[in-house]
Amino acid sequence: MDSQSQTTSLQRLQNVEKRIVKVLELAGGVMDELARPVGPRKDLVQSHCLEFMQLIKDIQVALREEIKSACEYRPFEKCDYGSRIANEICYKKVDYVMSQLDAMKQTIDEYHAAD
Amino acid sequence: MEEGMELQLSLDKLPIKRLDSIEENGMERFPLNADYDEKRISLIRRIDFAWAIEKDEEKKKQKKSSKETSTPWQWQGMVDNLKLAHQELSVIIDLINTVEANDAVTVASMTRPKPLPNEALSDLAVSAATKLQCYRQVGKYFKQSAKAFEQQLAREARFYGALIRLQQNWKVKRQRQASIVPGNEGFTFDLFDNSYDQGAIIRSSPMSTVRVNHDAAGMLAINVSPNLCHSLEFGFVGAQLNMQKKSNENKSPLSDEHCLGETDTESSSDEEYVKKTHSLLRDVHKAIFNEQVFDLVNREAFNTSTGFSLTGLRENYLQLSLGQGTSVYLSLVSTGQDHPTVEGELTNNAENASSPLDSSDILMHDAKQNTLKKKGQHSISTCYEIYIQQIYQEHIFGRSSEKPISSGNRLSGAQAKDGSSLLGHFFMSLAHRIFSSKILAELENVVFKVPYLQLISNPTWHSRGSSWTLFMEVPPSILHGCQIKTSDYCEKNSIKRQFWIKVVVIDDRINVKAEGSPNVAGLFKGKSEDTHSINKYDCNLADLPVIILQQVASQIINWLYHEALMVGIKANRDFLCLSFELEQGETLGLVANVDPEDTDGCISWSLVMEDSFAEVQKLHKNITNGASEYRKFLGPLSLDLLYATLIDLIAFVGGCGH
Repeated sequence: MDSQSQTTSLQRLQNVEKRIVKVLELAGGVMDELARPVGPRKDLVQSHCLEFMQLIKDIQVALREEIKSACEYRPFEKCDYGSRIANEICYKKVDYVMSQLDAMKQTIDEYHAAD
Repeated sequence: MEEGMELQLSLDKLPIKRLDSIEENGMERFPLNADYDEKRISLIRRIDFAWAIEKDEEKKKQKKSSKETSTPWQWQGMVDNLKLAHQELSVIIDLINTVEANDAVTVASMTRPKPLPNEALSDLAVSAATKLQCYRQVGKYFKQSAKAFEQQLAREARFYGALIRLQQNWKVKRQRQASIVPGNEGFTFDLFDNSYDQGAIIRSSPMSTVRVNHDAAGMLAINVSPNLCHSLEFGFVGAQLNMQKKSNENKSPLSDEHCLGETDTESSSDEEYVKKTHSLLRDVHKAIFNEQVFDLVNREAFNTSTGFSLTGLRENYLQLSLGQGTSVYLSLVSTGQDHPTVEGELTNNAENASSPLDSSDILMHDAKQNTLKKKGQHSISTCYEIYIQQIYQEHIFGRSSEKPISSGNRLSGAQAKDGSSLLGHFFMSLAHRIFSSKILAELENVVFKVPYLQLISNPTWHSRGSSWTLFMEVPPSILHGCQIKTSDYCEKNSIKRQFWIKVVVIDDRINVKAEGSPNVAGLFKGKSEDTHSINKYDCNLADLPVIILQQVASQIINWLYHEALMVGIKANRDFLCLSFELEQGETLGLVANVDPEDTDGCISWSLVMEDSFAEVQKLHKNITNGASEYRKFLGPLSLDLLYATLIDLIAFVGGCGH
């Protein structure tokens, strides 16, 4: 499919869900059409059914692709919680250094102001 | 009656007309001559009382709409009709029951009545109508489920979208429950790190599993109580100034937002909501780490006793004493809550220990000095709070890669894999830091008083070592311009204009290194360590200013001596005295006097004129301030003035020599 390169796997699955909703709506529309007391309009029914089948085919294709391309899920192979804590500590260090620099700047400003 | 005559009588059946009803006035009513269909319908109607009920409803409506006084007659008719209907119904039911029971009546034969064409058509019409009805219902059902599905998609898209974004940063686990309740799919955030060093962590915090719930709108929600999020606080006992500042810093921006995000409109608030949840998870994760650090410190505080001792213990609070009256505490506080103030514990004598600074400081009042000291302490305590977290982070999570700095450091052995030395190392660093701040105060004092000295800090990148350089630059020689240009290499070294003294402190040992007298042999080698001999001393804090001033003075003397040599005058050099020989054994000298307590520049100079005989006399007569000695006190001099004095002296000596 052309759109595979542009959309992420998540978006493709969401599109599948939207298609399912559309399929249901089409089915409802066909049923309503058949339930008309005057009789169904053939062209409308035909177009709906065509669209239905097309959508079902699209859904199947998309799902098959996704299932094939889903990678094997290895849970929590590389846990980054350690580096996350290191990061938090670095953040605190930066905070501290900035406060020291601010204090230095303040001292300099006071010095210049006192002249 | 005649014989032999047979009579045949044929009776025509009289057209029996059944009377429908007969009225009082004799009028007969005959039933309508209905055809077959109508008869069937009327028969059906006999058991289908919808029409009767409709009629009754109409009557009721008429009754309600009109204001006629209703006669009980109308009601009576309806009641009678209903009674009749009831009777007929019961008859039919009995009939059906007896037929079913095969009791009195048995079904003789049942022949399918041959359907008349219009019957078949009407059957077809009825079944077609019911089929159409079913289609309509199915169609409605499809459309309804499409709508419901769409709504559920939207809700789940929000939930799973948020979950996926959070999964990029946090581990998500799912329990496959037997009965999955809609609204709880069994997701949890697992904040426990399974890559910890073995043996470093024994228990896992109960906070480390956070359940994922749904809030009212179906959006992801986590339920975390803020009181469980502890942060580590380190400080000096008795210094209360840091309380206020700390509580402002520690307050996370969302300390009052926990679970249950608001259901505002759409995606921009979804973004913020995810960010808030992420911040919350970060807080919990940090809190888990802080608890582990506190736990480890707790354990170590009992095991080791190098350099510190445990003096106080409370829930989530540890107090340790470092000796010399310094007490520190380490506690776990909830965010938003102040740490438990210490009642009547040891006062902080670190302030008292650095009091020599107060009396001699002319820049600030004592009050401001105290504030500054407290701010300094606060910044030290913040700094060491971070440091202790870092130490334990490395210990807990193991070293994945060796840092290049620590490998070359002789103290790297102390940072061993076992945790017992970590706390000792930490407290030695803290002690070193306090000590070196005292040293720095002394050095600053000296440099402040002597105008031609500069202080440079050298970073050592080690937590237990500090180093400073005192730097002096002397004015250029007047012969600089007349100097014959030798090679640049020699020139650089022969005109030495910069003198340094290095002060290195490791743990609590001070080592002073200073350039000493020039070494002629090494003059052409190039490195300053070779051109000049290096004086090295170990000293303690009290003697530091004196030693430094002495080194400075001796460097000045060296410089002046060298300048004199360049001019061609021979001078004698003592430790703090430069003397020229005049004729008749007299010596004229320049003597330095160091006094760190002096407020006017610590190095003062005097001119001394001595008779060679006078020295012998001094020895015999023990005259302390000898009358034969002429001494003129010059006071503290700038280097330019000193140089000018030297030139004058040289001129005088040269003049005398002729």
